[in-house]
Amino acid sequence: MPARRRSVARATLAFFLAGFLTLAAIVGLSIWLSERAKLYYSQTVMDRGVRVAAVELRHAVQTAESSQRGYLLTGNQIYLAPYGNAKAAALRELETIKRALAPRAEFQQALERLTAILAEKIPEMDDTISMKRERRDSDALAVIRTHRGKALMDEANVFFAGILRAVDERLAIGAEEQQANAAWLRWLTLLGGAIIMTVAAGAALTANRYTRELLAARSEVDALNTNLERRVQERTTDLAELNVELQRFAYVVSHDLRAPLVNIMGFTSELERGVASMKAALDKFMPNDSHGDAATKEARIAADEDLPEAIGFIRSSTRKMDSLINAILKLSREGRRTLRPERIDLRELVEVSADAIQHQIAAAHGSIQIDLEVGSIVTDRMSLEQIISNLLDNAVKYRMAGRPLAIVLRAKPAFDGRLTIEVSDNGRGIAEQDRERIFELFRRAGPQDTPGEGIGLANVRAMVRHLGGDIAVNSQIGMGTTFSITLPRDITNEKQVNA
Amino acid sequence: MSPQQTAVTIVMIEDDQGHARLIEKNIRRAGVNNEIAAFADGTTALGYLLGADGSGAVSAHRFLLILLDLNLPDMAGGEILARIKANQHLRRSPVIVLTTTDDAREIQKCYDLGANLYVTKPVNYEEFANAIRQLGLFFSIVQVPENA
Repeated sequence: MPARRRSVARATLAFFLAGFLTLAAIVGLSIWLSERAKLYYSQTVMDRGVRVAAVELRHAVQTAESSQRGYLLTGNQIYLAPYGNAKAAALRELETIKRALAPRAEFQQALERLTAILAEKIPEMDDTISMKRERRDSDALAVIRTHRGKALMDEANVFFAGILRAVDERLAIGAEEQQANAAWLRWLTLLGGAIIMTVAAGAALTANRYTRELLAARSEVDALNTNLERRVQERTTDLAELNVELQRFAYVVSHDLRAPLVNIMGFTSELERGVASMKAALDKFMPNDSHGDAATKEARIAADEDLPEAIGFIRSSTRKMDSLINAILKLSREGRRTLRPERIDLRELVEVSADAIQHQIAAAHGSIQIDLEVGSIVTDRMSLEQIISNLLDNAVKYRMAGRPLAIVLRAKPAFDGRLTIEVSDNGRGIAEQDRERIFELFRRAGPQDTPGEGIGLANVRAMVRHLGGDIAVNSQIGMGTTFSITLPRDITNEKQVNA
Repeated sequence: MSPQQTAVTIVMIEDDQGHARLIEKNIRRAGVNNEIAAFADGTTALGYLLGADGSGAVSAHRFLLILLDLNLPDMAGGEILARIKANQHLRRSPVIVLTTTDDAREIQKCYDLGANLYVTKPVNYEEFANAIRQLGLFFSIVQVPENA
């Protein structure tokens, strides 16, 4: 899966890189092509300027010539009116053309010639006009008759036409190039668009395939999860059934054990009664101080000592067995007890439990400190009361001799909707190897110097677990012990396994 | 003792012979001399109480006090109790349930079925004897209304 993810990342990166490069190329080429278009455009503008100037020049020269001829023919000043302007315009336009075509080597020769023609033509016209004005008509006519003016004009016309043709050709070429340029741009854009679309499609396809794979993987995980949940559920049910079975077993066994015990106890009493009457008979018929034979002495010893001793042992053993059976019964009943959840003020409950052992604490010169960070809990009141009282009783019972007893009872919130209740003491502590044993039925730890049957903590653990919680112990031998109970804050929110 | 009281028969349904013997001994020791009919299983006990036809007519003119153990080999004591209390001839006969169970639900169930008294068999013999003696006291004041 990670390898697949890497390859997908690599492919995506490659697609993006290709797309970026294509885009950059398109942008670069577009800029280059538009720069070229701009160049063509400015050249076209210039060429058009040259063309206009050439037409203007031709027109101005022709106007000046026709004005000169009209004056020469008629002598009327009226014909000379446009002459000055036309001459000035001709010189101006010539300058314009020369300036515009200055960078163009191929025109220089033609322009020089044209300039020379005009430099000859204009003085010729000026001279003839001056002659006419001085009434030297024949001189003027002689100048005209040389046909030099006409030849110059014809030659000039040839140059004008040449310039115009050259410019027109260039304009035509420019327009063609412009079109080719635009076509290039169009094709390039199309090609780039196609590449980008391919890249995008490829990327989308990869992403789509990857997403599909992800979805497939997720549904597989979901299926596994569901399967796992089902298996956990099955296992939980199995365990719950096993638990119920075990409790039923404990219940039945303890009951069946009780029946013969009733007989043993009952007939022990009968035996005792019989021994008492035998002893009475012995006392009556064979007084103690009599010189009886060996058989009588033995009967007396049996009646006085052996039988009462035997009966006493049977008694204490059956009593012990009865209390053990009762403990098993109690434990099995605890596991099956129906819980009655209610909202409980923790402080109130704890204080009641603490008050119950107040006189014992006082006798041990001790103190109890209550430190609650949790206000209330929804659980079974009876169980919680018994749990707290049992732990407090233990704290008192297993205190360190010669040290003032100090009990601390804490409650604080825990994660996952739970709370922790801690009962700490400065008692004699529990050795490490005993920390699991103390929760087992009929097991006790440390010196057996206080009465007890090893039932309390087993019962506490059964109750805590029945409330959906757990109990742990932390202890330092000779220093003290802390029991930590974790319980759900609201038992009605818990999934009841035993329900 | 009045003639009516001596006519009361104690029906003891108890499978444990030791228990049966202890109960009998202590009833006698408490000064109760009524006839005791002992049965070790439910089938024969019901046969005695309901008769061969199962109608209970056989018990119509009997004055009975029934001591019933709940743990019987062939049927549940509760079923016998239910059968007794459902029979028109037997339902007025007092039934005392004797068992090792001290489970509150079990006790409640017996009272619901119509048991007159529930006695937990204690291992402590003195208490047991005391309970039996109190039963004897109970016998001495018992009134059997049917056909009386």
